[in-house]
Amino acid sequence: MRKLSRSAALGLAALLALTGCGLSGAQTGTAGKAADTNQRIVVDNFRAPVANWALESDSAYILSLSGCLETLTKYDSAEGKVVPFLATEWKQVSPLEWDFTLRQGVKFQDGTDLTAESVAAALNTVLKAKVPARAFNPGIVSGVKAMDAKTVRVTTPAESPLVPFRLASVNTGILSPAAYQGATVDPFGHCTGPFVPVSEKAKQSLTLDRNKNYWGGQVQLAGAEVRFITNGATRAAQVQTGEADISLSIPASGLSTLKNASEVSVLKANSPRTATLYMNNGRAPFNNVDFRKALRSALDLDALAASVYEGAALPAAGPFAPSEPWASGKASPPKQNIEEAKKLLAEAGYTADRPLEIIAIVERSEFADVATVIQDNLKSIGVPVTIQAKEYASAEPDVLAGNYDMILSQRNRLIDIADPIGFLTADYTCKGTYNLSHFCNEEYDATIAEAAKTSNTEERYKLYAKAGEILDDQAVNLWLVNEQATDAIRSNVLSYVQDPLSRYVLTAQTAKSGS
Amino acid sequence: MITFLAKRTATLVAAVLLSSFAVFLIPYVTPGDPVRKIIRSRVAGDVVDDSTVQALGQSLGLHDPLPVQYFRWLGAFFSGDMGLSHISRTPVVDQVMPALGITLSLVIVALGIAVIVSLPLGIVAGLKQGGKADKLITTITQSFIAMPEYWLAPLLVLVFALKLSLLPSAGWNTTSSIVLPAVTLALRPISFFTSAVRSGMIDALEAEHIQAARARGLSHVQTIMRHVIPNGLVPLSTLFAVWFAGLLGGSVIVEVVFAIPGMGRLLYDAVVNSDIPLAQGGVVVVVALAVAITTLADFLHRILSPKVSGALA
Repeated sequence: MRKLSRSAALGLAALLALTGCGLSGAQTGTAGKAADTNQRIVVDNFRAPVANWALESDSAYILSLSGCLETLTKYDSAEGKVVPFLATEWKQVSPLEWDFTLRQGVKFQDGTDLTAESVAAALNTVLKAKVPARAFNPGIVSGVKAMDAKTVRVTTPAESPLVPFRLASVNTGILSPAAYQGATVDPFGHCTGPFVPVSEKAKQSLTLDRNKNYWGGQVQLAGAEVRFITNGATRAAQVQTGEADISLSIPASGLSTLKNASEVSVLKANSPRTATLYMNNGRAPFNNVDFRKALRSALDLDALAASVYEGAALPAAGPFAPSEPWASGKASPPKQNIEEAKKLLAEAGYTADRPLEIIAIVERSEFADVATVIQDNLKSIGVPVTIQAKEYASAEPDVLAGNYDMILSQRNRLIDIADPIGFLTADYTCKGTYNLSHFCNEEYDATIAEAAKTSNTEERYKLYAKAGEILDDQAVNLWLVNEQATDAIRSNVLSYVQDPLSRYVLTAQTAKSGS
Repeated sequence: MITFLAKRTATLVAAVLLSSFAVFLIPYVTPGDPVRKIIRSRVAGDVVDDSTVQALGQSLGLHDPLPVQYFRWLGAFFSGDMGLSHISRTPVVDQVMPALGITLSLVIVALGIAVIVSLPLGIVAGLKQGGKADKLITTITQSFIAMPEYWLAPLLVLVFALKLSLLPSAGWNTTSSIVLPAVTLALRPISFFTSAVRSGMIDALEAEHIQAARARGLSHVQTIMRHVIPNGLVPLSTLFAVWFAGLLGGSVIVEVVFAIPGMGRLLYDAVVNSDIPLAQGGVVVVVALAVAITTLADFLHRILSPKVSGALA
């Protein structure tokens, strides 16, 4: 009975976490436990640094989640808006220019001052990278210059309301000039954040100490170790044994064991990732909207989420997760309706003259099972399906060229900035560079073009919602489940706020109670 | 002896050239654009800009004809330069050597465990051929072959880290970190080593010179210690070398599960991400070491087995 009540409590906690607003994650409280400022913390992260800490690479995520790297602005998931960070305010001074006012009194960890010159130099280094960051590259930003001691001007080649969003990307993190002296970037002692990186064990871990002179107030932890553990089961095991205090991105397969761990809490948040069955709208029978809608009606998304994802994902209502601020309030997950599906198939004039193929990319092991469930669902309406397992790299040329039927994939809508414009443009506009569906719709393109130049956030989100409705009405793809970002933390971790994109993990407020 | 060394040196050079060329070709004979794979390993995500692909391919020299690329690498290699990793942009040697050190430690401990366990088991099984002890030892050790590392490793973590809290579940930080991965790696060699020692013992027991030794008045124990066991160990030296060479690059699963930054993981990641210089550098070092180890094993074999010395000479 005790076990049952604990499970129920955990289930309730998970439910509360899931029903939170926006993309914000769950949060641990401080009630009843005092922070011990002598404590150090261990975080198991799911990726290791690459490209020798180059900020235009994914290494920037590690420096940011470690509490080292900071940006001019920051995206507040709970508020759903960009908020001040190293810059206190910003303003579009002309259609192509944005001015950012720097926070005063900020020092780099090497003791030098954060100045407009140092910020401009740091951002221009990212702009000149051989493999530029998606959020901040010469195609989007023309240049950065210091206007005076505390003002930085960012110039764009075309009018862009999203510059403050771009400067919240971890790839635009600011390091002191000393970090750029050699051929590679050296973040050690050159950040502005609450933690100073002091040593690195290659491909193993990064050790950090408290920044005693942090501009944002007293740092509650003495230090931290961020470990690079790529195996999800190992991350789950380490938080259970107490070897790690926080384990990021726990796979669905590890959740069942963590549910029984008394000292561990599992936090879940909506992630901007939706597992999707992409359909080739450019070729028969997928070029018929009734056929696509028939397939949608045939799928049992509830069963899919419960079985393959073991409850770690929720049935998708459309191209966006319901909690995203640009999601249409009208959408609800489609329910399986075999009769409706058969009727739509008849209207589409479909004849099963050849089996259709689903490509299940092997990099996502669950896709093999997802494909099997879909195959079974479609069989019930008389649509024969074969499954082909392939590496993504081998499937991509055919998919981009339009030589395929269906492919299972999962995209992060906020991969570059905390705004879906990049995703909606690349994936669904007629000239989109990643238009796997080969979908082309004038109304959709016009909506996205208008959104791209709309600076009012609410108005822009309405346009995104409209674009999402067009995609849904046209049943461009079959959006299957919204995946959950799942972190596990020990009970002595205090003031931890989950970030679905794992950009911010260690902050000045993160604390641990005494053991 | 000079002929033997000359042959082995030629084998080494041929093995290095062949393996480096084979690894070099992998990104080009497998589906997908190598430059896109490199970019994706640096920046997560699917959308890759064509102009970035062109620029990076140009800057890394990946658009040059394949023979030009290969001989450029070969020329640099023979002048002592393994080049820079395409992914990390750090010298290949700086990545390969630490990883090699870690894997060497792991493999030495794993095979050390295997030898310590399999020697007494093989000796007892050989001496008690056909008896209950032999059957029990053979059954248990043969069952180790059927225990894949991806099953055994999590099981050991579950028992010794999660349930008993005796050992760390992963990492490469303390001495105790090596125990679970080494035991995981040791299990299959134990099976093969025990079987080899057992066979060697049985062969030795049936040899004529053993019978002669007994006839000269040596006690049973003296005969076993002086003649049977040393002869029984001969097959083990070769097997040890083969396993040693194989595990240098073949411990990927254990290294991934236990988060160990060793050679297996390094090579796997390098091949998957089309990091050609790193894959080539890593494979060349592993192959060279493997040839050296098997050569050393042949020498040992010669010392332990007088029959072979004539062939070597």
